[in-house]
Amino acid sequence: MGSLSGKCSIVGVGETPYLRGAGVTARRMAVDAVRAAINDAGLCARDVDGMMSYGVGDSVTSIAVGHDLGIDLQFNLDAVGGGSSIETLIGLATGAIEAGMCHTVAIFRSLNGYSGVRMGGSGARAAAPVAGVDLLRRTYGWSSPAQRFAPAFMRHMKDYGTTCEQVAHVKAFQSQHAASNPKAVYPEVVSIEDVVESRWITTPLHLLDCCVETDAAVALVVTSTERARDCRAMPVRVLGVAGRVSKPRPDHDYGYGSPTSIAAERARVIVFGMAGVDPEDIDVTAAYDAFTWTALLQLEQYGFCKEGEGGEYVSSGDTRLGGRRPNNTSGGQLCEGYTNGANLVVENVRQLRWQADDRCPGAADDGEHTFDYAPGACRQVRNPELAMNMGWATPALGSALILGRG
Amino acid sequence: MVDYRGMELDLADGSEAAEYLQQVSSRRSFVLQACLDCGRLRYPPGAACPYCASSESEWRSADAAGTIISYTIVHQAIQPGFREWVPYPVVVGELDEQKGVPGPDDGIRLVANLLRADFTPEVPSSVAIGLRVEVVLQDIGDGLLLPQLCLTQEQPEEEPWPMA
Repeated sequence: MGSLSGKCSIVGVGETPYLRGAGVTARRMAVDAVRAAINDAGLCARDVDGMMSYGVGDSVTSIAVGHDLGIDLQFNLDAVGGGSSIETLIGLATGAIEAGMCHTVAIFRSLNGYSGVRMGGSGARAAAPVAGVDLLRRTYGWSSPAQRFAPAFMRHMKDYGTTCEQVAHVKAFQSQHAASNPKAVYPEVVSIEDVVESRWITTPLHLLDCCVETDAAVALVVTSTERARDCRAMPVRVLGVAGRVSKPRPDHDYGYGSPTSIAAERARVIVFGMAGVDPEDIDVTAAYDAFTWTALLQLEQYGFCKEGEGGEYVSSGDTRLGGRRPNNTSGGQLCEGYTNGANLVVENVRQLRWQADDRCPGAADDGEHTFDYAPGACRQVRNPELAMNMGWATPALGSALILGRG
Repeated sequence: MVDYRGMELDLADGSEAAEYLQQVSSRRSFVLQACLDCGRLRYPPGAACPYCASSESEWRSADAAGTIISYTIVHQAIQPGFREWVPYPVVVGELDEQKGVPGPDDGIRLVANLLRADFTPEVPSSVAIGLRVEVVLQDIGDGLLLPQLCLTQEQPEEEPWPMA
């Protein structure tokens, strides 16, 4: 399948503001984000003939968004899923384009994740009758992502001596990145102590180990790399995709192998093989950060450090701006906003265009970057060529995406 | 519908999970789904055997002994009915039976609460990886028995690891 590597590119990105209380529908946000992404590409609605989205009963259909924007769709698909979907849909868009089903695909994720359906399952969802697999989850008070994933993290602490202080660096560094991101919901710099002294949610997760729930929509436009050369922005090529790869016995998260082992063990073979690169070649990463810990486990198991050394890697400074391989340069889902990973792809696209929308003077008008990584200044990595997204659904299910400049 | 901690449990939905709870409750003993072709037990319940894909199964008594391989202590409950229980442990228990079968990474892992003999949550300081446990059946009303885990006096094979 290496033949599809580089055939398609991301040519447009768009977002609505990340808010806690948007006051508009998911449909309205999706329309605004898709329109922004099409404009960013220098295209118009009639240039788009495919659309895809994902959600967990909290979004809007591609047909509705296409209707509102006057887009005649030759291809559309709305997937069920949260984290790990965006990387997969970018891969599927590449396939649809190469198969001749359509030419240019808009992909969106829209959710009122704070003021509507809450990902953790509280509110209206907690009141729904319990049936099916939930009979063996919710009856044990084991249902939210934090509750479900925590045993993987706890076992990592036992097996490798990983500490809460080490993993707190993920939040602390990302908060410094967010301070240079005008879009971030949480732009305040936080310390290691702030994280480990925040209240327990479910051990070993503190409140500040958890991402920020927001209302927002994010969109991307994918087209053939050949067509991409006619678009306004620097194309960002899709070099490798691993789409929703699962461990054996994935249904109950911990049915196979060590509780610390995640789908990345398998996904990394696919994504690095397709892209023809190694972890050492990657300049900037975005490891899905529903929690500080999900970023740590993925960075380790995709091979950015040795097995068991994730705690040292994320606390070494390598992953902060100015470090060897910065991670989640927007502040990520811990600080910027939460869209099941779509905003993490937008950030990597901007990094590879060398156009991070940071606080450098004139950044909004493609001004020069200062590379001053003090909080409140620059968040553009120096001249990155390759970026990687690691998408997490559950410990047993994940995706990955490698993007290349130009 | 059975009411448990303010949740309505739909045991008439025809799901494999509902049948499992009904089988445990009606037999008043711990049973698991067992494949009629390869003979292996499985959990969680499903429509076919993950080891041989056969859809033929029966409910068979299973040995209740196992070991905690990981856990979390929940401090923020999602279901309102669990708020009076916090902090409560959720543990991943691996049964001795069929451990390492058919491959070394396989095993029957139950995720459940760790309870004391009186069916209240085990105190957090008593929870550790490596501790020996057994399945117990918690009567949650309306004749429904929920499989849970409880510490035993058996000596662990390795030094238990509690989060400091």
